[in-house]
Amino acid sequence: MEDSLIRVGIPRDLVKVLGVEGDSKAGAFTRAFLNSHMRQDSRLDPRTLLTHKAVILDFCRPKKDKSKRKSKRAKGLNARQKRAMKVFHLKPEHQRYELFLPLHELWRQYVIDLCNGLTPTCSPQFVQQKLLKADFHGAILTVVRSKCPSYVGATGILVQEFKHIFKIITKEDKLKVIPKRNSVFAVEINGFVSHIYGSKFEHRASERSAKKFKARGTIDL
Amino acid sequence: MSAQMKDKDAYQRLNFLYQAAHCVLSQNPENVELARFYCSTQKTIARRLVLRQDPSVKRTLCRKCCSLLVPGVTASCRQRRRSRNARFTVVRCLSCEHSKTLLNHPDHQLWTERPEAQQERPKQPDPGSSVKKTPREKKCDASASRKATPDQSAGAT
Repeated sequence: MEDSLIRVGIPRDLVKVLGVEGDSKAGAFTRAFLNSHMRQDSRLDPRTLLTHKAVILDFCRPKKDKSKRKSKRAKGLNARQKRAMKVFHLKPEHQRYELFLPLHELWRQYVIDLCNGLTPTCSPQFVQQKLLKADFHGAILTVVRSKCPSYVGATGILVQEFKHIFKIITKEDKLKVIPKRNSVFAVEINGFVSHIYGSKFEHRASERSAKKFKARGTIDL
Repeated sequence: MSAQMKDKDAYQRLNFLYQAAHCVLSQNPENVELARFYCSTQKTIARRLVLRQDPSVKRTLCRKCCSLLVPGVTASCRQRRRSRNARFTVVRCLSCEHSKTLLNHPDHQLWTERPEAQQERPKQPDPGSSVKKTPREKKCDASASRKATPDQSAGAT
């Protein structure tokens, strides 16, 4: 098949001769483009064509019911379809630390813009107020205190935030899942270190901007 | 005034999430899941706080699976003809096969481009000078402005 010819890698001994980089950005894009566009129609797959199937003998096709128009608006997927599609599952080959450094840079600019300058004269309370509603995707988090001692000291870039867990990528290219309950995180921006008490942060990332925080109870760690 | 300032943080957050999705996708074109996660977060925030987003932003998000539509990477962009004098741009999401159809018409105006939509500044109505909306993708470095005030052709007579 032609697909196999296209996806054949260049042999090792020819790489230096041809001067082709093995892992370039353009190469990655080309591979992604080919993967997404060379999908074959399942009906034309030779294996399915050769399987024995019962032929339905029908004198004519049933007419399409034109009274039932499908609505143009897309319905979102339900939870079962999302689980089947693995909507938010990260593949292990995409978990590389250096891929997320630009995201961290973007986040730093965003926070500095949010606190309009973040000069040392800023009152800490003002910055904390802003950070309550801010987005933490791309921040470098460090676990300062936790009830479970093995979590303490884990550092990495936050990739996904769910209701009860943070997913961070460490410098060793490992994806770590850290529960928010009973642990304290530290975020560092321009020498300004802010602590996040995870027990109070148990909301979804999208609900945090809408909900009000209630000062209730104390944190004993 | 206070209400406008209250929404400012949320708009900044939406903008950041949109840019983060672009950033992740430009680093690794196959990392669709993370970009989708950011875009769905953005969508949920906008729904919870009842914020209107610009149509140019909403056109680059898939309505079904919330993934970011970049032509050639996560979406296929085709020009179709339905009738003799109406052409459409069909943008199809490659992960969930859902397509959105946009009309190509030089005189077609969205509501946000109409002069009566701009309530902040009274504009004199100038018919016939409509900016043609092309659903072309902006690059990642061009920060998409989240405010509902698209740049009008001010030099029109």
